[in-house]
Amino acid sequence: MDESWRTRAIRLVLIAIAIVWSGFPIFLVVMSSFKDVREIFAVPPSFFFTPTLDSYRRLGQLWPAFYPNMLNSLIITTGATMLTVVVTSMAGYVYARYSSRLLTGSAFFMIFVRMFPPIIITLPLFPVVNLLGMSDTHFLLILLYSSFFVSLGTWIMRAFIEQIPRELEEAAFVDGANLLQTLTRVILPLAAQGIVASSIFVLVFSWNEFIFALIFTTRDAKTAPLIIAEMLSTADGVEWGILFAAATIQLLPVLVFVIAVQRYVVAGLQAGAVKG
Amino acid sequence: MWTLRPVHYLMVAPVHLLLLVFIFVPALYVGWLSLTHSSFGGPPEFVGLENYATMLADRIFWRSFWNTFLVVNIVVYGELALGLGLALLLAGWVPFKRVVIAIILAPYAITEVTAVIMWRYMLEPDVGMINYALKSLGVPQIEWAVEPFSALMVVSVLAIWQHLPFTFLILYAAVTTIPNELIESAKVDGATPWQTFWFVKLRLILPAVFVALMFRYIFAMRIFSEVWLLTEGGPARMTEVLAVYLYRQAFRYHEFGAASATGWMLLLLSLVIALPYLRAMYVKMFRDG
Repeated sequence: MDESWRTRAIRLVLIAIAIVWSGFPIFLVVMSSFKDVREIFAVPPSFFFTPTLDSYRRLGQLWPAFYPNMLNSLIITTGATMLTVVVTSMAGYVYARYSSRLLTGSAFFMIFVRMFPPIIITLPLFPVVNLLGMSDTHFLLILLYSSFFVSLGTWIMRAFIEQIPRELEEAAFVDGANLLQTLTRVILPLAAQGIVASSIFVLVFSWNEFIFALIFTTRDAKTAPLIIAEMLSTADGVEWGILFAAATIQLLPVLVFVIAVQRYVVAGLQAGAVKG
Repeated sequence: MWTLRPVHYLMVAPVHLLLLVFIFVPALYVGWLSLTHSSFGGPPEFVGLENYATMLADRIFWRSFWNTFLVVNIVVYGELALGLGLALLLAGWVPFKRVVIAIILAPYAITEVTAVIMWRYMLEPDVGMINYALKSLGVPQIEWAVEPFSALMVVSVLAIWQHLPFTFLILYAAVTTIPNELIESAKVDGATPWQTFWFVKLRLILPAVFVALMFRYIFAMRIFSEVWLLTEGGPARMTEVLAVYLYRQAFRYHEFGAASATGWMLLLLSLVIALPYLRAMYVKMFRDG
């Protein structure tokens, strides 16, 4: 705390720039969603105005599919997160507690596969998925989104479970608990932070993902980002007010969630990227 | 009780099943597809390296290759510089630090679609905030809809905006683990702030810098949505990147074989970049057992 007032002033200015850079575009979308249509491109831009819910009303009228698509996003995100949590908890536990050459090899395989660009798998999957009638289903996107995060998730779970003392499990075994009971009653409650940390990444990804949804959904399983993208590329001029209203509804829940669990984001990235 | 039993292999099986069925096997199959002529309504027909030859002779492939190269390098090093600056800044005295970090993290929660909306809104010709400001200052506007270079710059800024939280967090985590005694003793020895940064801090966080660089190179190479939603690769396919080139070949022209050649190349490029990291991990994992 021996900084001069000048250093501190520079610090504050830099922090202010960082805040504006990160936060202003988001603030702008949310603010503009409450503006009257004529006010959105007011020149010079206006920051004081009478808020109106007009854009939200018109969103429901002109894009009736928006709310069903939000529901699809919710179903798919919930499904992918739950699937990821279940499979990575089991795998993370084994990797934390046991070792063999085969396990080490398979752990390396997980890291290796993380380098694969997701877009390439659409090429062989597209015809197969159509053949199996799995195109445009929630189930397919749940499986795809989960697949791309089970590796990171397992790594995070392993790191968290490793910190739990083995004595607790030994005591549970002595008391006659089986593996499933030990896992669900002893380990997982203590690894709750790990579950949160590994959920964040798959949750945010599934909620926001665009390219798989673009390729594999047409109507029934279409997600929110996709219909928002359609609003952006309509031939007869973009209706900015409606676009902002839709974007605001889509972004707020996940933004609040990420801010609420921010320290787990840090912990998860640490466990997933930096540690071996 | 700590002996490995078949049930433990069963517990890791679901994870590996997902990885194999949805990523690994399809990716290998892309390798095979890239050697075939493949479209709708017919079995793939083996053509050897023809797709690769066609790809390498395609002007548009090379344009999207160099566009990707440009964007990736701007994004990766732009993020590295900004992320490192932010990490060092946040490691010191900052009022309401938690709140500040939360705001810096915010773009991570936003879908690419909305990110494009934000920046397009600010960059609309004449009326968008940024272009309006440029016009008022008498400076030429950013004509991203007609000028390929401007469009690629907008794409880069967008990508940096979205992914800075990732780079920042990895570096911030590294910076905060630097022992304070080292910084103090450097100061006592008369090191200037710049020398402290260059000889002490940077050396200590170098592993984290490499990890961040590697991941960001690999992820940035896949860039698709930002370009697709901003320009669809236009005008006249001038702003295509590799993923857009692949998408167009596969899902517009239904040339799955040709698209697979691009895809397989993307995969190999990713693995080459990841090689030092993978090697280090391999050595570490098998040494530690």
